[in-house]
Amino acid sequence: MNPLLDQFLSESREFSQGIAAKLMQLEDAPSDQGVINELFRLVHTLKGNSGLFSFPDLTRVLHAGEDLLGLVRNGQIVYSSPLADRLLEAIDLVMAMCAEIEATEQIGGSWAQEAVRMAESLRELMPAVEAEAKTPVRTAALSAPVELPPLAEIPEAARLEALRQCHDGETVHWVCYAPAPDCFFQGDDPLYSARQTPRLLWGSATSSQSLPSLAELDTYRCLLEFHLLSTASREELDEHFRYVPDQVRITQVNPLWLADPEAALMDSEAVNAVAAESAPQTGAAKSAQSVEEQVAALDAILTAQLEILRLEDHPNWFAGRLKAVATVLRNVTRAAGDRGTASELEAVLAECLATGQGSLLLLWLEASREQLIAGHAAQLAAAPGPGATPSQGTEEADATSQPGVAKPPADEGIKFGRRAEDVPGAQRSIKVDQAKIDRLMNLIGELVVSKNALPYLAQRAETQFGVRELSREIKGEYSTINRIADEMQDAIMQVRMMAVSFVFQRFPRLVRDISRKLGKEVQLVLEGEQTEADKNIIESLADPLIHIVRNSLDHGLETPEIRRARGKPETGTLTIRAAQEGDRVLIGITDDGKGIDPAIIKRKAYQKGLIDEAALERIDDREAVNLIFAAGLSTAEVVSDLSGRGVGMDVVRSAVEKLNGAVTVESRLGKGTTIRISLPLSMAVTQVMIIESDGQLFGVPMDNVVETVRVPRRSLHHIKQSMTAVLRGRTVPLKALNSLLGIPASPKLNSDDEFAVLLVQAGGEVVGLLVDGFKETAGLIQKPFGGILSGLSAFSGSALMGDGSVLMILNIREIV
Amino acid sequence: MPIEFKRNRAVFHDVVGVEEAEGLLEWLQSKPAAKIDLAPCRHLHTANLQVLMASSPAVSAWPENPELRAWLEAALKPRS
Repeated sequence: MNPLLDQFLSESREFSQGIAAKLMQLEDAPSDQGVINELFRLVHTLKGNSGLFSFPDLTRVLHAGEDLLGLVRNGQIVYSSPLADRLLEAIDLVMAMCAEIEATEQIGGSWAQEAVRMAESLRELMPAVEAEAKTPVRTAALSAPVELPPLAEIPEAARLEALRQCHDGETVHWVCYAPAPDCFFQGDDPLYSARQTPRLLWGSATSSQSLPSLAELDTYRCLLEFHLLSTASREELDEHFRYVPDQVRITQVNPLWLADPEAALMDSEAVNAVAAESAPQTGAAKSAQSVEEQVAALDAILTAQLEILRLEDHPNWFAGRLKAVATVLRNVTRAAGDRGTASELEAVLAECLATGQGSLLLLWLEASREQLIAGHAAQLAAAPGPGATPSQGTEEADATSQPGVAKPPADEGIKFGRRAEDVPGAQRSIKVDQAKIDRLMNLIGELVVSKNALPYLAQRAETQFGVRELSREIKGEYSTINRIADEMQDAIMQVRMMAVSFVFQRFPRLVRDISRKLGKEVQLVLEGEQTEADKNIIESLADPLIHIVRNSLDHGLETPEIRRARGKPETGTLTIRAAQEGDRVLIGITDDGKGIDPAIIKRKAYQKGLIDEAALERIDDREAVNLIFAAGLSTAEVVSDLSGRGVGMDVVRSAVEKLNGAVTVESRLGKGTTIRISLPLSMAVTQVMIIESDGQLFGVPMDNVVETVRVPRRSLHHIKQSMTAVLRGRTVPLKALNSLLGIPASPKLNSDDEFAVLLVQAGGEVVGLLVDGFKETAGLIQKPFGGILSGLSAFSGSALMGDGSVLMILNIREIV
Repeated sequence: MPIEFKRNRAVFHDVVGVEEAEGLLEWLQSKPAAKIDLAPCRHLHTANLQVLMASSPAVSAWPENPELRAWLEAALKPRS
């Protein structure tokens, strides 16, 4: 999953919970303006975030919620508990949608209708004026009378095709798509959407009102309306029009409407079959209804038929409508078991069809309505239970003959009946305070240390007590514990791991802004964004990297004119690359700019007193270039607001060194510069080399260690107070560790009259430390000193060894 | 150009976008007797359709694409 979406989801969850909590808080103190403001802010932010992705359903619900809360905030609506209920339901819906996004990375089309309904139900709570001003289309749709699609405008061929599809068991939907007048500005092309409608049978573009004359026509206001006939399912259509659900009306077409007797194709038996086919399901569910309910339903059905008959006439489909009513009535009479009424009905119907007048049927229905209901009720009372199912056919007919009433009455309220808690596995990630993870890590560190005591114990069991058997068993246990502890340590490291993309993601914007400001053209290339390292490391990496990038843009890359003059492509390239190498993360920042001139650096460094005359002669270009990391050196002629105050690169160096990292620079004049940062993957475990001096053990971080050598005493040169030796062609100053630590003992020599010399790197210089002997290297969990001991600058901390002894870790930079 | 304006005839090419609608409207206003050639057209934005519907110009050629032709014929042919 895309990291942005991931973050959005985890934030949404948090926000939703925050919103729910604030709503609860408001229940106790409905007039607390602070809480209302906070609530509004949460919903507003969540809505804004959702807009980043294409989840229009989510945004729609939140937008309605925001509008509603806006009114509450301005005091236009008083907070009430129904309002809170509605908002809580909206939040549950939002969370359910988020769960779906999390599972499938998209929202299914089925949510669209629910979202629209929820948004409407929220808007219902707003004062009428407000609602009307905001949603003219929607209120119009709400108050529109039961509408039959104007099927007469469908050409013959398309209608017949639709009818054939109906008979083949397909459901045909009528879609009325009335785009918003300003839809062109939102990038909509309604004709295109209409043409792309799934399984389109027929479509036409009309204008709802007559179009104005050319002189008055506004090209950018959409006045058209689209009428479509499709065999796609409701879900497919909802999905297709998901961005404009408030602009479409989808109606399932009753085959009866399509069947026109004039077309001489109408097969009334087939139509009846269609109606009867779908009946049983509804009937079965209804069978348990009480007699009263059924009678009431029958009453409603008959009333609906009366309404249909009273609708204004349209010659083209009058006959079809008459047939539809007749079918319903036939079913009703059959259900009532009233043979007499049934034959009466047939007679009236035949006459109506012959004369083309519906009034006769209307009169008959009005007259015999009471009788029908009474007869039906009597039959129900006589044979309750399974016998009470006959109303099934009528129920079905009622449902299909009243399109557009799918909307529940407003006063009923909407019960989505879904608590957010119902969604299984809604939360896959948890937020944990870093202190808790640190504690866990410390505990694991201690486990590692105490585990290391087991081999000593095994040894003692063997040598001291002579129990080999026990010793072997202890060793076996040790290897098990060792494996588990290693895995635990690895797992906790994984928890703390973060991808460098966390830092990298801000660079595209940074580079763009800076290069704009400087009038340079820069292409940024990011590589290895997935490389992971400890959270602390990643977080402290941000500032140094920004410094380096700014420097590269400011001093490194040239303006397009200069680049062209030098025969380079006008657009400079800045590459930031991350990679893992062993237990270290390497980050390289490369530009193809003008590079660093070592001569200038040397001169500047000399002028500022950073190096003496001897060094000026001695150091090579490579070392000279690395002088940019020395404090107080700036090569830019002009101080800009970006860099050039001489505080850049030494800050970078100290920041990186604080993380036990190293930074170097390589540059080729005129070709470009590469700055390399090397950092440990994790700061938790420090690799140290253990050395011995005057009978004591000390640790030296492996980052400082260059090599270990044995130097014969006669190769040592004494120059005044200091000692030196020539190693691999270089003169290296030597210092005795004992004297550095103030231990009154001289370094020991081994049997071959050699000194043990540990070459360490300290601040770019290599120094040899005379020690008594080298021991093994070990991965240790270093603890900083606390209390009084924190003042000891010679040591960077201490670590517990496997045998329980404490090892002091030397701070090489301080003592050399 | 998606719409090629000739002396008394506008030819619609390929896909005609929303930004053409204004020019088309002006042109049709200045040439009430103009004819429209839609043959090479694959799609035109709703705004253009609306202009054509408002002006109901004579169509000299319908689109070669049968599906688009059905749409445009339904919308532009004078109702009998």
